Amino acid sequence: MSTGTIMAEGLTKVFRIPARRPGFGGALKDLVKPVLVPKVAVDDINLRVEVGELLALLGPNGAGKSTTIKMLCGILTPTSGRVEVNGIVPHADRTANARQIGAVFGQRSQLWRDLTARQSLEVLRDMYGLRDSDYRERMKEINRILELEEFWDQRSRQLSLGQRVRCDLAAALLHDPPVVFLDEPTIGMDVVVKEQVREFLRDQVNRRGRTVLLTTHDMTEVARLAERVALIDHGQLVYDGATAGLRDLAGVTWEAHVTVETVPVAIDVPGLALTGSDGTRLTFAPLPAAQGAGAVLTPRHAIRRLIEYLPVTDIQVEEPDLEDVVRQAFRTGR
Amino acid sequence: MTAHFSPRLVLPPWRAMRITVIAELTQPSRYVPQLTMLVTQLALTWWLWRALYAKVTESAGLNVSQATSYALLGVLFLQFKSVDRSSNGDAMDQLMLDGTIAYWFTRPLPARRWYLIRMCGDLGYGGAWALLGYVVCRAIGAIAGPPTWAAGGAALATLALGLVITYYLQAIVDLMCFWSTINDSAVMAVQLASSLLSGAFAPLWFFPGWFQRADGFLPFESTLNTPLSLYVGRLPVSALGTQLAIQAAWCAALAVFTWWLWRRACARVTILGG
Repeated sequence: MSTGTIMAEGLTKVFRIPARRPGFGGALKDLVKPVLVPKVAVDDINLRVEVGELLALLGPNGAGKSTTIKMLCGILTPTSGRVEVNGIVPHADRTANARQIGAVFGQRSQLWRDLTARQSLEVLRDMYGLRDSDYRERMKEINRILELEEFWDQRSRQLSLGQRVRCDLAAALLHDPPVVFLDEPTIGMDVVVKEQVREFLRDQVNRRGRTVLLTTHDMTEVARLAERVALIDHGQLVYDGATAGLRDLAGVTWEAHVTVETVPVAIDVPGLALTGSDGTRLTFAPLPAAQGAGAVLTPRHAIRRLIEYLPVTDIQVEEPDLEDVVRQAFRTGR
Repeated sequence: MTAHFSPRLVLPPWRAMRITVIAELTQPSRYVPQLTMLVTQLALTWWLWRALYAKVTESAGLNVSQATSYALLGVLFLQFKSVDRSSNGDAMDQLMLDGTIAYWFTRPLPARRWYLIRMCGDLGYGGAWALLGYVVCRAIGAIAGPPTWAAGGAALATLALGLVITYYLQAIVDLMCFWSTINDSAVMAVQLASSLLSGAFAPLWFFPGWFQRADGFLPFESTLNTPLSLYVGRLPVSALGTQLAIQAAWCAALAVFTWWLWRRACARVTILGG
């Protein structure tokens, strides 16, 4: 397996959670003989991310995204299944794995609160055994986009969330790892900082060729960064493919809103289904291939056909946003 | 895209010991109260033991100078464990609750070595305070010097092993967090036990014989009572071999136990909150 590849086969994690019994007697029994209930957090996930690819791992809270990412990072030991990152089994050789990966857990910082951001990064430099020249070069490159120098002499406890996460990104990439795991890196950030982080990630993937596995709830981020997404729900992978292909899974498609001079008695446009009407304003959606004539219509072909069949005065085509698509995909997946 | 690593990979991580020093010394709100408490404790201890010996010349085999020196050194020894990581969110239970313990497993240092480095920083910082206190106490005559150079050397040797035992005891308490997340009750219990049973509260020679015999089966006595008793001359230097053997046995037993605990802890690490 080449450097920069992430592979998981049958990846499963089962936590054994103590079931609390009610009352004082229950508490005593729990102390003497705790009852442990198995909870499947990740269930038989197969995943492969190639070198230089950015994969967005999506799912509702508690779906198993973070557990998956922590197994891929080597923090958690899988209950069963196989995992390899850069050809290393992460939990079996954490030290070797750590040199090849960077990780940011958005809600958790690896900076030391009472040290300045720069001092924290220097501690990490020492930990990775980086040469001073390499360290300076890396910091210069990271600083170019993330603009750390404005605040890197402030104590971490005094940094804003956006500043802190930018420093955490720097900390994760200081040692130039080929693979980066980002668990909700932009959570709680304002739009300006989010865009800055996105630009940084684009740069890292496109120019530096890093492999990035990202979990997020921000669909704008997914739309702008990821060409491929994996959907996890209840610990299971329900979709792994192109971001654009999500629409097929979800069955959510574009809609054409048409305003007509007069509403015809019979509205029959081949390949399109009338899904709503409000006076002279009609809404159409493409028929599935099986029901329509030939392939599913593209918006461009649909416009032509609508003009051909109806006395159109105005047409608007509305593409569903990714958030609707993902929401629908989860419903379909369940 | 491979990073260039320095051939000197061993020493740089140890520079992380400075985290404690920077965190403590850049905040007057940390070191001013510590200094105040230390001075107060030393002064009260000196007065207390002088008062206790007002009408006797010797008790429990210690004269006033020996007893006072032992008690003051006991106060100074407690400085080794004076760093309170919870004030900067770096205590083990906080790392577990925040989930930042995750980063211990994404760095190129085994978690146990990282813990050792940080603890050495803490012990070193606390030790500097203890040394400063010792120098001042010696200068003003509050603490007497060891009866012989040999006794001083023996005390230093046993102090070193005593600190190793102290480190392992603290590690065991901290490692409990991998099972129970919080360890504050255990910390309190071990702090009380170690202070009482090591002789930090009062020289163990004043306790009843049965207490001293029972205490001999625990590791706490070796951390403090042994080096201080050698320092003040209550234990002869000829007892050094036996005492070192006892300490070494405790070190070995605790090292094996903590090694096993680390193995279990690293295999079962759970990050709270997703």
